[in-house]
Amino acid sequence: MKRIDAVTVIAEATTTEDLFVSSVGGLIDDWWNLRPGPVDNTMSLSILGSISSTALGLALALPHRRVVALETDGSVLMNLGAVTTLAVQRPRNLTVVVMDNGLYECIGSAPTLTSAGVDLAAIAAGAGCAHAVAVHDELSLAKELAASLAGDDLGYLVARIEPGMESWPEEKRRHTDGIEDKYRFVRYVEQLEGRRIHGGAPHV
Amino acid sequence: MHEQSVGTDRVPRYAQEFVNGLHEAAVTLVGTLPESHLKSVYVAIDRDPAIDLVRVSNEAELPGIVAGSYLGGRRALMIMENSGLRQACEPIARFSFAHQVPLVMVVSYRGDFGEANWWGHNHAQVMGPLLEALRIPMKIVDRVDDIKPMLRKAFDHAGASQWPVCLVMTGECTEGGAA
Repeated sequence: MKRIDAVTVIAEATTTEDLFVSSVGGLIDDWWNLRPGPVDNTMSLSILGSISSTALGLALALPHRRVVALETDGSVLMNLGAVTTLAVQRPRNLTVVVMDNGLYECIGSAPTLTSAGVDLAAIAAGAGCAHAVAVHDELSLAKELAASLAGDDLGYLVARIEPGMESWPEEKRRHTDGIEDKYRFVRYVEQLEGRRIHGGAPHV
Repeated sequence: MHEQSVGTDRVPRYAQEFVNGLHEAAVTLVGTLPESHLKSVYVAIDRDPAIDLVRVSNEAELPGIVAGSYLGGRRALMIMENSGLRQACEPIARFSFAHQVPLVMVVSYRGDFGEANWWGHNHAQVMGPLLEALRIPMKIVDRVDDIKPMLRKAFDHAGASQWPVCLVMTGECTEGGAA
């Protein structure tokens, strides 16, 4: 299973009613092209170590809405303690999918520590995540993801993926920056929720 | 129930005012790594059914939790010792400079004038220059009567500027303060 395969499974299992927090790097163009709907449903963060925490805050803010964190092994490893907070809070509407290729691939494929045997699913299970599983192919990812999205507990899925980055033509690459993404994401949440999040102050 | 709340029946005035200020500012989520200067604040929040308390074990988790909550339209606050600014510095910098997500943070002023612990002085020495480097507006709050209006203003300022703000609690507004 390559990252593009895992992303395809996630996109097919979710809808435009769901919200996503993703890492940047090699994942971003894959997800931007395959995500459900041409809508601004994804906050892509340039902050390794804060993807799951941000998804947690979003899930706690919107307990009626499904939130999916599109994580990477490099990001999870940068702030490993965050999984303990996830396990204690265990919001039922949050699913974390860690795409674990054992590499910092987009900066030249230096190995991450998962390539030396660190087991993120076992760590999550040890932290107390009741639904922490490792998956190695599209079928098992689809099965576990469907169970998590329909379930009543936090889901923590570690998808072991092979190296390999998709090459997207220039017109299909994501060209927005982190500030534009923030505004677009907030406006989309406002549209979904039917209420104002940012703004409302007088202009004069 | 927070373990710090065990055996603590009386909530000091500063802590009660803090919680009242959170209510007035419509804050319903607080993320924190507890410390000693604001001990009763954590107890009071934990006892308050209208506010959810998320305890972390590293301050670097807090910016993400508060930012995610903001993006979902729920008002959240992060509370930590001022040394936590250093631990959380990288995500704070990125949420502000790269994404312009407003984060409202309250820190205790470890190392303020009269600090008796040798290890606490570096917290104060670094805090001001660090906040300045991050371009984060800060206000020192040392009077209990200022807690509520400063919390309200902090959220107004952060929301309008789309940038973090920091309140630094000391004096009357800390455990064992004068009030």
